[in-house]
Amino acid sequence: MPSLDFRDFLGQLEQQGQLVRLSDEILPEPDVRAVARAAADMVDTGPAVVMDNIKGYKGKKLAVNVHGSWANYAIMMGMPKTTSLKEMFYELARRWESSAGEVKWVTNPVCQQNVITSNINLYEILPLYRINPYDGGFYFSKASVITRDPEYPGNLDKTNVGLYRMQVHGPDTIGLNIQPAHDIGTHLRKAEENNQPLPIAICLGVHPMLSVMACTPLAYGQSEFKFAAALDGRTQELAKALTCDLDLPAGTEIILEGEVVPRQRTAEGPFGEMPGCYSALRSQYRIKVKAVTHRNDPIMESLYVGMPWTEHDTLVGLSTCVPLYQQLRETMPEVTAVNALYQHGLTVIVAVDNKFGHYAKTVAMRLASTPHGVSYCKNIILVDGSVDPFDLPQVMWALSTRVRPDKDVIVIHPTRGHPSDPSSEPPGISGKVIIDATTPAYPDKTGPEYRLIDKVENSDLFRQKLQELQRLVSGRKLEPTTV
Amino acid sequence: MQCARCLADTASVVAHAPDGSGAWEMIYCARCNFSWRTSDEDQYINPARREQIFQYEGLDLETLPTVMPIAPLRK
Repeated sequence: MPSLDFRDFLGQLEQQGQLVRLSDEILPEPDVRAVARAAADMVDTGPAVVMDNIKGYKGKKLAVNVHGSWANYAIMMGMPKTTSLKEMFYELARRWESSAGEVKWVTNPVCQQNVITSNINLYEILPLYRINPYDGGFYFSKASVITRDPEYPGNLDKTNVGLYRMQVHGPDTIGLNIQPAHDIGTHLRKAEENNQPLPIAICLGVHPMLSVMACTPLAYGQSEFKFAAALDGRTQELAKALTCDLDLPAGTEIILEGEVVPRQRTAEGPFGEMPGCYSALRSQYRIKVKAVTHRNDPIMESLYVGMPWTEHDTLVGLSTCVPLYQQLRETMPEVTAVNALYQHGLTVIVAVDNKFGHYAKTVAMRLASTPHGVSYCKNIILVDGSVDPFDLPQVMWALSTRVRPDKDVIVIHPTRGHPSDPSSEPPGISGKVIIDATTPAYPDKTGPEYRLIDKVENSDLFRQKLQELQRLVSGRKLEPTTV
Repeated sequence: MQCARCLADTASVVAHAPDGSGAWEMIYCARCNFSWRTSDEDQYINPARREQIFQYEGLDLETLPTVMPIAPLRK
């Protein structure tokens, strides 16, 4: 059953044993970090964790690892929590192709049950913690940030919801790390060209599918709200902001409304990032907070990001795969699946049926020129359509037995890269490597003939039988064996 | 108060533990924007123990790398 808002989703997780509450007294540093890291380490089945006894913040609630396991992701999709990655990928792709989702506006939203407009002190209102020890301060790592193209007032399709890191810079000020390729980068540039502040809303604890869409590479004119509704199968409820004309997710736990100050930059960073290293101290934008609104008894949300695998990887993984898959299939229907789970798609595995010799390499170049592929998609691996790109032993088999080093490895350099990739030098400049592990096709020389060994008949049936036997053995108390 | 990171005399207490327990104070540097809690682990807030790669003594704010330079004003 699709969820209505963040709090409903936590209830669903708890019902299915995928949420735990930690009420022991813990320190904000280093304990919260250790709890979030531990939960994220349980990649397949790790629970969400709600803490309410953080020293100094007693009674304030903080949730981590809400999207931190594939089991939680499956529950968000309304699927059994043991659903395989490949099944979730195809289900997400199917819903993606369905009709656009609906939104509706509500009045008196729960996100505005409480309003603070004076003496705002974010360090005291929110249970903040230092995510990695050498972070430059206290960060929002899982905020859905809403801005609108200033040339299109009131236009929901020109509104962006994005997930960006933000550093609290004093009681009511926030640093904002933005790349020019982000949609919000376009909004900021336009506002700054006219010396205008850009209205902004920072949403903490949003509908789980909206969090997913906030880090999905949609096209500029596509609405994250409508996509979240389409993928969730339920209308997204919106409300008007109190200080500007932005539209906000009505069921959000906590919202910070403010403005990006034009034509000013300030020191921001370092921050432990998704490639598993700290990004540098850089000059970035500054936000002035004008209002804080929240539900009664609000639940702040955060995620641990650092050395992979973390909640960040689970949150962005499948929704990075699907748009790349869709964009490739618009002109290349031979593509059967895309695995872009690794570091937001810095490494991508594409399964494709080779319709003629070296066709897969053309697919790789198409991938590199998609909007996301420009900065990401650095290492592009191509495997036959019959290979499951989510099954790494199969991918390794293809690499081991298909790649001809003289013909199937192509390096393109320099190209745009991602500044957070530590191998990008200077930051933002990188290259592409294409590794074609597909079976050669005519007119390419196909090499000596060989015959693949068929899949063993009935092995699936016997696997089920063996698993049953294994369950029986593990549930039985064994008597000591005597010789 | 001296900043634990840039060592300038530009830091001050900006918040206290909101539950009234006195568990910690929050300190913020208005120059380099570093902030820390008095209950943070000593190795990360003591300038003598912090890794040098994360120290910014003499930081020149004007020459920090920027990802998005300020756009020219539209005429």
